[in-house]
Amino acid sequence: MNTKLRYLVGIFCLLLLHHGLYAQSTYELGALPSLNFNKKLQNDWSVNAKLESRQVFQEGELSGMRTQAYDYLLTDMAFVAAKTVGLNSRIGGGYMLRVEEGEIYHRFIQQFIIVQKANGFRLAHRFLSDQTLSEAEQPEFRLRYRLSSEIPLNGESVDPREFYLKINNEYLNSLQAGSYDLEIRLVPLLGYDITEKYKIETGLDYRISSFLSQSTEHSYWWALNFFIEI
Amino acid sequence: MNKYIYLLLLLSLTLASSLSAQDKLEKESRIKPEEVPAQAMAFIDSLHLPAKVKWYREEGLEHTTIEAKYTYKKTRYSIEFALEGAIEDAEMELKWEAMAPAVQKAIKAQLEQDCDKHSIVKVQEQFTGSRQDLHSLLKTGTIAQGLNIKFEVVAKCKRQKDVNLYEYLFDDKGQVLAKSVIVFKNSSHLEY
Repeated sequence: MNTKLRYLVGIFCLLLLHHGLYAQSTYELGALPSLNFNKKLQNDWSVNAKLESRQVFQEGELSGMRTQAYDYLLTDMAFVAAKTVGLNSRIGGGYMLRVEEGEIYHRFIQQFIIVQKANGFRLAHRFLSDQTLSEAEQPEFRLRYRLSSEIPLNGESVDPREFYLKINNEYLNSLQAGSYDLEIRLVPLLGYDITEKYKIETGLDYRISSFLSQSTEHSYWWALNFFIEI
Repeated sequence: MNKYIYLLLLLSLTLASSLSAQDKLEKESRIKPEEVPAQAMAFIDSLHLPAKVKWYREEGLEHTTIEAKYTYKKTRYSIEFALEGAIEDAEMELKWEAMAPAVQKAIKAQLEQDCDKHSIVKVQEQFTGSRQDLHSLLKTGTIAQGLNIKFEVVAKCKRQKDVNLYEYLFDDKGQVLAKSVIVFKNSSHLEY
């Protein structure tokens, strides 16, 4: 599986690189730190609170033009409540508040997640829909699918004080003001299970969008995620 | 100290569970061949396996073992050794259809008694016995008289509103010896 996964990731990166070289493309480089709090409740309920910020260090065109100015882009605060509905599936809903350049965005989230355990790795499928409303922009409706894999780097499952590799691949279909866009994300992360309650992950969060309209946008975020069970 | 915190956490999880069965919690870590006890390594070497062997240290609530895992002819094998290297048991995956009908019937009866609905996820045949008998089993597939056979069955079980994954241990007649709930590891980092 690991070898297959490596091939898939390699092919995907090459395709993206190929597209990036030959299209009219812009890019952003920045950081995407996040803090996640999870709490298990009674009757199979759980809640997640997430705080995330986005900061740009450099942006420009892949063909040459670039600006190198730090910009604090946005802050997201999300809250999702979920209920286990099967052996390994969870249905949830929530709300996210985004503060971006003085504007407030409201996002409503519905999600369904299935986690599968295989020999030597875990997979999670996330089906998510969201609706974003603000005074600054037309409402945006998205349908998303994300495949996450967790590959232990020591043993057949991740235990405390062990590293793991996490790879997210997400496809986001967006409809806004009658215009459709597809965004693809590829997020390879190195994680460390500090204890049963604390995890830390870091790596690249790569996003490509607007390639259907020939003005491709690439985003390269340095991701730093903390997960805390309370 | 950390070990005690971990054990305390496991204990609290066990107490929190409303299920009557014992929870199954194990910590498994990959180890290098150099860390494997010489006696265990000698046993595996003597099998002259054409497959790659992976070594693990498995820490349970009660004791720690060394495990060798490999796949041969599409069957997964797991050989368990004591810390000093003495062989404890050999497990191999088994297809449900390959079990003796009488054993199948007894196991089915137990699952039907415990669950409103169930499905079998995995079956393993577990052999214990002398080093010599286990060696013959793994080398030639011969099941010697002295070998003790048990079956480890992982089953998804729905009872009333609860759905859980259980690990059962049955004897060679299909009579239940032990039952434990498989506790899933936290997956919030895969969900959010």
